[in-house]
Amino acid sequence: MQLSVVVREVQVPLLASLLLGGSAAKLVHMLRVRSVDAALGPTALFPVYLRRPAAMLICGCEFALGVGLILTAGRICRGVPTNAVRLGTALLFLVATCALIELRGTRPDIGCGCFGDFSTAPVSGRALARSALLAVAALSTVGLPPLQPPHRGVAAILPLGILAAELALVAVLSPEIGEALVRLGYSEPCELRTVPAERTVAALHRSSQWRRHAGLVSAAEPVDMWRELCWRYVVYPGELHGRPVELVFAVFLRQHRPAIQAALVDAATGNVLPWPGSVRPATEADRMRRLIRAPAPAFSAPTDPGLGIPAVPGVRGAGVR
Amino acid sequence: MLDTGGDHACCDRCAGAGTAVRIARRRLLKAAVFRTADVRPADARPADVRPADARAADARASSTAGARAGATQGAAGLLPDRARARFATSGELPRAVTGEIIDVSPHFLVVSNGASQQRFALTPDATAWRGGALEPAALRPGDQVVVRLHKKARGVADRIWANIGRVTGTIVERTRDGLLVDEGTTRKRQFVTIPPRASGRIQVRFPSLEPGYLIDVIGLRRGGALEGLIPATSQPAYRVDQMPAPALVSGHVPDAISGSATWHEPADEPPGVLGVAYPALDPEVGCAEGPGPGVPGNARMPYLSIGSVLLVRNDCTGSSCALPVTSCAAVGRLFNDRCVTCGTSPRSRVADLTQASFVALGGELERGCFNATITIGG
Repeated sequence: MQLSVVVREVQVPLLASLLLGGSAAKLVHMLRVRSVDAALGPTALFPVYLRRPAAMLICGCEFALGVGLILTAGRICRGVPTNAVRLGTALLFLVATCALIELRGTRPDIGCGCFGDFSTAPVSGRALARSALLAVAALSTVGLPPLQPPHRGVAAILPLGILAAELALVAVLSPEIGEALVRLGYSEPCELRTVPAERTVAALHRSSQWRRHAGLVSAAEPVDMWRELCWRYVVYPGELHGRPVELVFAVFLRQHRPAIQAALVDAATGNVLPWPGSVRPATEADRMRRLIRAPAPAFSAPTDPGLGIPAVPGVRGAGVR
Repeated sequence: MLDTGGDHACCDRCAGAGTAVRIARRRLLKAAVFRTADVRPADARPADVRPADARAADARASSTAGARAGATQGAAGLLPDRARARFATSGELPRAVTGEIIDVSPHFLVVSNGASQQRFALTPDATAWRGGALEPAALRPGDQVVVRLHKKARGVADRIWANIGRVTGTIVERTRDGLLVDEGTTRKRQFVTIPPRASGRIQVRFPSLEPGYLIDVIGLRRGGALEGLIPATSQPAYRVDQMPAPALVSGHVPDAISGSATWHEPADEPPGVLGVAYPALDPEVGCAEGPGPGVPGNARMPYLSIGSVLLVRNDCTGSSCALPVTSCAAVGRLFNDRCVTCGTSPRSRVADLTQASFVALGGELERGCFNATITIGG
């Protein structure tokens, strides 16, 4: 049997199990909070009165498509119904990918809700990649002949190996795995995790958000930093067209490549400003010039030991006790 | 008399006018990052879950509590609407007034808060407390009072507490005169005397009045000391340095956490400020409010910061309101007690309210606590 056919065959049970799993997780979440309105993820994009039907529709579609994929996998309902179900699955994942992109832009603080309670982490590139991957996987099954009975012996190694590899890929792209570990008690939930401020700042400085906007920053140290649940907020002073501004970064408290959101705020009025079209990253010479012009004082603003912003990096709480 | 000066250091986080500005600023900046966060229907009007009478009273509110909270309100007043959408304001919690009695008669009470005077009618239903129940007319000019206003008539005093005080902390020294109590590094040490008439009552609940053990008593303020009269809880059996490890948490902390809500006296914060001291501020802030190195808290609660908003619900009365975190309940987290004001609450103190917030949410100061549920949001 051709490798490409085996790969395509593997997609059907994989997609069906993911759809049914997602539907079940959403249903459990709704039962737990006793409300359909409490559904997570893209339903937040809808007006309030449409959230309930949207949540029910998503859950119902997933269940129907999951069951449909199983029922049409064999020789029953061959032809148009089979392809309709598979095309519908591809369409669902395609729409989901677009919705997640939109959700990431408009509601960066909430999770995708793909697997109910397990999908509370902000939408990341991994979640987007997974959704797109599943859309491609579903599309690849269109026109596939009926699935053969499971192979035995050595012949079963190839499909099982492909299935295992794809499951591993999906797991890597799934933030829900970390969440499951938290649920099982193997990992501390992020809202209880002690994360050093230095690590947050270091992660911020490595991020693309920082590289994009660092040209506006006018001081080496943040003027304020605080934490709420799984987010730490870091505020830097800046200057835009001679006007004092503040750059606010929200950093998700995760070990690797945390989600980061940023905003530009007028320091005087508090109004949110649009980011300038293209901010040239500050050159080393620019930064040195700024630091010479406004050096960070050792034990006064903009450092703030009382708020956990060390006057001297690495010296936490200095001058407080 | 023991030295109560201690080595207390008020860090940047102590509540005050600066904190009010910081709270407003942080909310503004947070709203800027998550621009759409404030339009969520569940978040839009948290105060709406309050009883109808409280909502109806919003428009008429103009209390001392409001004036005291004015620092917060004033700062927020300069900010765009989205940034202050969820603040508890004087209009939301108008029922508590604090100040000093200027004049009192069987029919009215005049209270001064320093800047202005307020006159309240006294009805036959009004009750007062000064170490015990008494007629409001028996109060004296000069008494420091916390007045709870009538639900429907804002010019009528409903309940008055005079010279009430509370000391919650670790006993650091015991002498024949009384106890020296450490309330955390940012608060001044407190001296507690226990009169013979209250000694038995207190020792039933606090059998170990020895250094290293916790104490929580309510009583009368006399000069710089507190005359302990009522035990506010039962004493934990452990010494502070031998606290049991907190229970492990499996999974995320639920959005709503139930437990005991207590109150504290204003130290550096304005007396009528509306806010809550939270027992689990981000340990990274490096402030000196913690109970000391190596002393863990009893409850595992999600980390927050000054300016975070909690929806605090009094489970006994059903009243609730969103309040900003204004300080750290450093000592409160050492207690693992329950509140039994109405039923039995789960263990641990989830919020340490300011006097004004506690009274406005329907709490009785001399009882020390009410069963509460907090929801983190904002």
